[in-house]
Amino acid sequence: MAEPEKLDTLQAVELAEGIEIRLRMAGPMLRAGAYAIDFLIRGLVLAVGGTAVAFAGIAIGGNVAGGMMLLAWFLMDWLYPVFFEAGKRGATPGKRAMGLRVVQATGSPITLGQAVVRNFLRFIDGMPFFTYCFGLTSCLATRRFQRLGDLAAGTVVIYDRIPKPPMVSPPPPIVAVPPPVGLTVNETRALALFRERAGLWSDGRRAEIADQAAALSGATGAEGVNRLMAMAHWLQQKRGGL
Amino acid sequence: MTAGDFEHRNEARWAEYERLIGLMERGKAGAEAEQLPRLFRELSLDLSLAESRMYGASVTERLNELVIRGYELIYRTRRGTWENAVSFVAVKFPQAVRREWRLFWLCNGVFWLPFFAMMLSAEHDIRWIQAVLGADGMAGMEQMYGGREEQLSHLRSEYGSNFMMFCFYIYNNVAIDFRIFAGGMAAGVGTLFFLLFNGLHIGAAAGYANHACNPESFWSFVAGHSSFELLGMVVSGMAGMRLGLAILRPGRLPRVRALTEAGRQALPLIYGAALMTTLAAVVEGFWSAQGIPSDWKYLAGIFGWVVHITYFLLAGRRSGHAA
Repeated sequence: MAEPEKLDTLQAVELAEGIEIRLRMAGPMLRAGAYAIDFLIRGLVLAVGGTAVAFAGIAIGGNVAGGMMLLAWFLMDWLYPVFFEAGKRGATPGKRAMGLRVVQATGSPITLGQAVVRNFLRFIDGMPFFTYCFGLTSCLATRRFQRLGDLAAGTVVIYDRIPKPPMVSPPPPIVAVPPPVGLTVNETRALALFRERAGLWSDGRRAEIADQAAALSGATGAEGVNRLMAMAHWLQQKRGGL
Repeated sequence: MTAGDFEHRNEARWAEYERLIGLMERGKAGAEAEQLPRLFRELSLDLSLAESRMYGASVTERLNELVIRGYELIYRTRRGTWENAVSFVAVKFPQAVRREWRLFWLCNGVFWLPFFAMMLSAEHDIRWIQAVLGADGMAGMEQMYGGREEQLSHLRSEYGSNFMMFCFYIYNNVAIDFRIFAGGMAAGVGTLFFLLFNGLHIGAAAGYANHACNPESFWSFVAGHSSFELLGMVVSGMAGMRLGLAILRPGRLPRVRALTEAGRQALPLIYGAALMTTLAAVVEGFWSAQGIPSDWKYLAGIFGWVVHITYFLLAGRRSGHAA
């Protein structure tokens, strides 16, 4: 059987240290929000700077003032995101506000070159007519939400800090029962997660999810939930004793 | 050992690590930064233990975040130094251009063939030029280069107008280079389009100036910055085509890998193109429109072309093949 499709946006990356870290990819909505904030900041800088330069123009001459505006426009258009993303935080102010950052697909910070490539290609991602249709299509077509610039630079946009999931203590285990068959690592993890998250769900939802594993528990409804919980308890207890 | 025991036993170490990376992220750590690799390895081990023993999401999430933060500190790349900048200009950029010599000739062809076709049409059939420039374009050309003597230097006599035009050329021409590069992402079509379009338009303008305006006032203006600007455009076209070819003909690599690889190879080209076009803006802003005898300006123009040809042919030859 083929590996089932993943439902969440976590991507595991293996490091040279022999461990896996999990990066949570950021989707198009958040990134659009970050872009909107950056757009406002850029507009504000140009407006405030423009007013200041216009007043200074009385002293330095209208031509010089006009030239400075063009230069500022160029810098804001092309180099604003490069400057911030190649910097220490790996994020433009807008991305920081949305809790995002840009990293290499391997999880390490991006280089200046990667910042240049991904942001210059924004021109194509924004097509047609700055609607970002190309970028959005590419985001939705790739596993890691990469727009075309990200693909060429080998970068991804991730959550800077993974938001803490709401923790509700799971229902206390009653008994520990070993699973009837040997489980793979992923299956074991699914059981453990089921137990951890069970506190968040209503009884009906728990039963609905537990029914998916009826083949393992051999029961449906509340009884299935109980059996899965018992197995999860056994697995974690057992592991802890190693 | 339960999750709680595990957390309790290692808590002090994790707190120390967290304090240290907190300091380093703000750039405030001193000698204690030496501890980071050891602490990082220990934390990595803790994470893999917590994962395999399934201590639950709260522990692994926390360790995962701490490991990521440390990883980013350890693998931070060093920023460019002046030495890098010098070696880029002296060695890496001309080497990159020579390595892509096929693209160099391709992009030159796409630009210069329409350019000379338009120049020729000025002699044989002016309607081609009229169609490309349009009424406004022709009127603009006549306004700038139409008179007996040079008009541009009069336009530039106002205080600050040189600086203003310099900024305009940065704003306009460097951005055109960047768009030519980005156009490569559309399988090279955008790059080819911009090169062809500029070839047609610049050729038509030159042909029209030759035919209907005062040729001396046109050629003496463009001579000085022509080599920087036009070759800069061609080089940014090479960068764009590098991307475009990775999409069209990825070779043995998967297409996305080929694209990433091409992005890396295109970088020196786009940096170089931006540098050349910036220099062109300096020349165009502060030299080309000055009231200097035309012969000097032609000489400067020829000098620019000779320098560029020698530079791309010879610079960085001795330094072997740097990656």
